[in-house]
Amino acid sequence: MSELQKLVFGYVGLLALLALTVGSSFLDLGGFNVALNLTIAAAKTVLIALLFMHLTGTLPRLAVAAAGLWLVILFGLTVIGR
Amino acid sequence: MSGTESIVFDSPRREWRADTFAMWVFVGSEAMLFGAIFLVFLFAHIDFGPAFASASKHLSLPLGTFNTAVLITSSFTMALAHMFALHKRWRPAVWSLLATSSLGVCFLVVKGIEYGKEIDEGLAPLLGLPFRYAGPDPVHAEFFFSLYFTMTCLHALHLVGGILAIAGLLAFWPKARPGNRQRRVVAVGLYWHFVDIVWVFMFPVLYLINR
Amino acid sequence: MTSAMMPSTYLAEGSSPGAWLLTTDHKRVAWLYLVSLTAFFFLGGAMAVLMRVELATPAGDLVADDIYNRLFSLHGIIMVWFFLVPSIPATLGNFLLPLMIGARDLAFPRLNLASWYVFIFGSLFALFSVVAGGVDTGWTFYTPLSTLYANGFVSTAALGVFIVGFSTIMTGINFIVTVHTLRAPGLTWFRLPIFVWTLYATSLVMVLATPVLAASLILIVLERVFGIGIFNPDLGGDPLLFQHLFWFYSHPAVYIMILPGMGVVSEVLPCFSRRPLFGYKAVALSSMAIAVFGFLVWGHHMFVSGQSAYGSVIFSFLSFCVAIPSAIKVFNWSLTLRKGEISFETSMLYALFFLGLFTFGGLAGLFLAALAVDVHLHDTYFVIAHFHYIMVGGMVTAYMAGLHFWWPKLTGRMYSETAGRIAATVTFVGFNLTFFPQYMLGFDGMPRRYHTYPPEFQFWHVLSSAGAVVLAIGYLMPLFYLGSSLFRGARAPDNPWNATGLEWQTSSPPPPHNFETIPVVTRPAYAYDMKGLEHERFSPHRPAPP
Ligand code: HEM
Ligand SMILES: [Cu+2]
Repeated sequence: MSELQKLVFGYVGLLALLALTVGSSFLDLGGFNVALNLTIAAAKTVLIALLFMHLTGTLPRLAVAAAGLWLVILFGLTVIGR
Repeated sequence: MSGTESIVFDSPRREWRADTFAMWVFVGSEAMLFGAIFLVFLFAHIDFGPAFASASKHLSLPLGTFNTAVLITSSFTMALAHMFALHKRWRPAVWSLLATSSLGVCFLVVKGIEYGKEIDEGLAPLLGLPFRYAGPDPVHAEFFFSLYFTMTCLHALHLVGGILAIAGLLAFWPKARPGNRQRRVVAVGLYWHFVDIVWVFMFPVLYLINR
Repeated sequence: MTSAMMPSTYLAEGSSPGAWLLTTDHKRVAWLYLVSLTAFFFLGGAMAVLMRVELATPAGDLVADDIYNRLFSLHGIIMVWFFLVPSIPATLGNFLLPLMIGARDLAFPRLNLASWYVFIFGSLFALFSVVAGGVDTGWTFYTPLSTLYANGFVSTAALGVFIVGFSTIMTGINFIVTVHTLRAPGLTWFRLPIFVWTLYATSLVMVLATPVLAASLILIVLERVFGIGIFNPDLGGDPLLFQHLFWFYSHPAVYIMILPGMGVVSEVLPCFSRRPLFGYKAVALSSMAIAVFGFLVWGHHMFVSGQSAYGSVIFSFLSFCVAIPSAIKVFNWSLTLRKGEISFETSMLYALFFLGLFTFGGLAGLFLAALAVDVHLHDTYFVIAHFHYIMVGGMVTAYMAGLHFWWPKLTGRMYSETAGRIAATVTFVGFNLTFFPQYMLGFDGMPRRYHTYPPEFQFWHVLSSAGAVVLAIGYLMPLFYLGSSLFRGARAPDNPWNATGLEWQTSSPPPPHNFETIPVVTRPAYAYDMKGLEHERFSPHRPAPP
């Protein structure tokens, strides 16, 4: 049952990333801790979205892309304006 | 009878498409809500990085990590429920849903324990509780804890919503037609996974960054 | 169910309170909204009249400063969130969107009804704040005034707006999904009426901006109730951050409050000049452009707030750019009229007034977008005049245009054209008399939100107050002639204006589920140049292809 395999792969991957992110917090990487932690969170999000939420089809992608773009606007212009 | 739930749609496929799309739009909308909250945290963090870093060390990393694992597991069982429902294997689907909501409850219980500890240590600047903090820059450490409670409570509220949604889904389960069961599992699932993603960001932002 | 058993119109489906309050028919939900929004409009209007009466003399003789603060705050809160944001989308949009795209209802009829209940629930909070003692923060809820100093019922008012936000989001999701999934066969995106495009663009803004408002309001409530200090500088918070979050929502929200109006006039102008809409694609796409670029300019409300000067320059530049898509529309509407066979029905009068007033208000926006000029004009009556020209002169006028245009479809009755034309003209005159003097006041330096002023301002204030009375009469008139048309009006034909558009192919009023067979669309929108063809846009008897 390859469907199940996919889900298990996602699950194991998420736990591995969790271990990685917690582990990295014990190392002092200077400014890179933040970047690494956020990258790992993004990677986890991708796993969940693709494997668990079945992000396929134009319409769902459109919704996600729109929300993504608008978050960029919100963060970007507020940073500029402040 | 075309097998759609509402007269609006002429085929179940279209209805299904509309349902999932609506859920994704809703998720996008919720993402903006949490985005705004994270933005507030971001600026506070930029302004008071050192105070936040030392305050963040007072959170319980073991409990936070454990809870993250719990939520990830609940997302996994939710995905299992989705898979079983699509295959019309109703019994395992129901068990997966029950597991998902129990894990959700487990998360809340652990979070409650954490809150209890923080209140005992005098780290909860809420409801007029005393704030006792020995580290440097207590004013901004207090600010960190305000944000911590705001963010985690907002997330917990969403989780409660998810648990209630699963409960409602199961309450109407016996009477629901197969198509409707599937559509509802998919819809609740999308919401559940989203709440999980929110935590996936909250955890490093609150517990890990600049430890 | 055979067709013989079906009631012939949605109005004949039952008139018990239950048949209305538990309906999921989008046409009836539209009426629920229409009635509630009308009540709010006149409530907010009454407060405006009180303010104008107070301002007729320089002294504060009618109300004390404290009461005056509460009047303008509640006026703004009610007019923005309890009237203008839902106005066209929730009434005309709700009624027409499924009809215009050949659908039997919105994608989620129960969600639609639920949105009305959420709206009512939220409005109870707001009404409670009115009755309990009011709010004095202005509609903008600026911190730290709203969090640390205001002693009114800020939390309940903010919660009311917060809850109403959910109803907005529900409507937005419903519209977006409906437009994507329920268009009739043959109805491609570029055959959609512009009204549908603008509703779609509006919904996009609703869904993506409202949550940010929700976040900022809930933080205010938390700060007031729990003292968490997110906007309190003493505790490390940043009051300016509130303004960023608020305007991230509220500038796009001004487009929530104008786009549907642009959609309405895009329907009305071609119909009464018997010409296809000029530059259809440009009008359609500029609606989307407005929705997107409207999110890039919020900082123009904060030029004097102490935000970064660098940011202000960027926001000023982007604000000039955002006027471009609006200007495109104005040019296209004007060119639609060119060489048209123009007739001046009531809704056409309103639409033409819209054109003038919107343009005038928009141009004033460019003054304000100019960084240096805004330092002088910010927080003066010039700003008040600017946004009233657009929101009242534009959107409310468009709302009246739409209400008159589709009234025969909504009710199956015709109203008195004479009365309608008189009311439209009275409104136009009253509006300009009320708000043009406010440009002058603002330019001369009269600040907004004061109940007293130096005597040299009195001339313009008196004109403005007199205009408000005329305007009030203009808005009260439709209550009478539209109301009486319900009982005494002539029966409306299915297509009284000989308009294109699927909604006119149904009976007046339409049957419960709009279309017995889903129509097939073969023509572009606004085929007013195809003589004699408009009635064949689809044949009701031809079954949809499988
Ligand atoms: C043509 C493009 C527009 C431009 C360039 C523009 C520009 C501006 C600027 C710069 C301000 C801030 C003035 C100040 O506070 O000093 C402003 C205020 C305002 N504008 Fe516009 N505007 C435009 C269109 C609109 C539209 C379409 C609406 C509403 C439907 C609108 C509603 C408002 C409101 C409500 C305020 C004042 C908010 C407050 O302070 O209470 N504007 N506009
Ligand atoms: Cu603006």
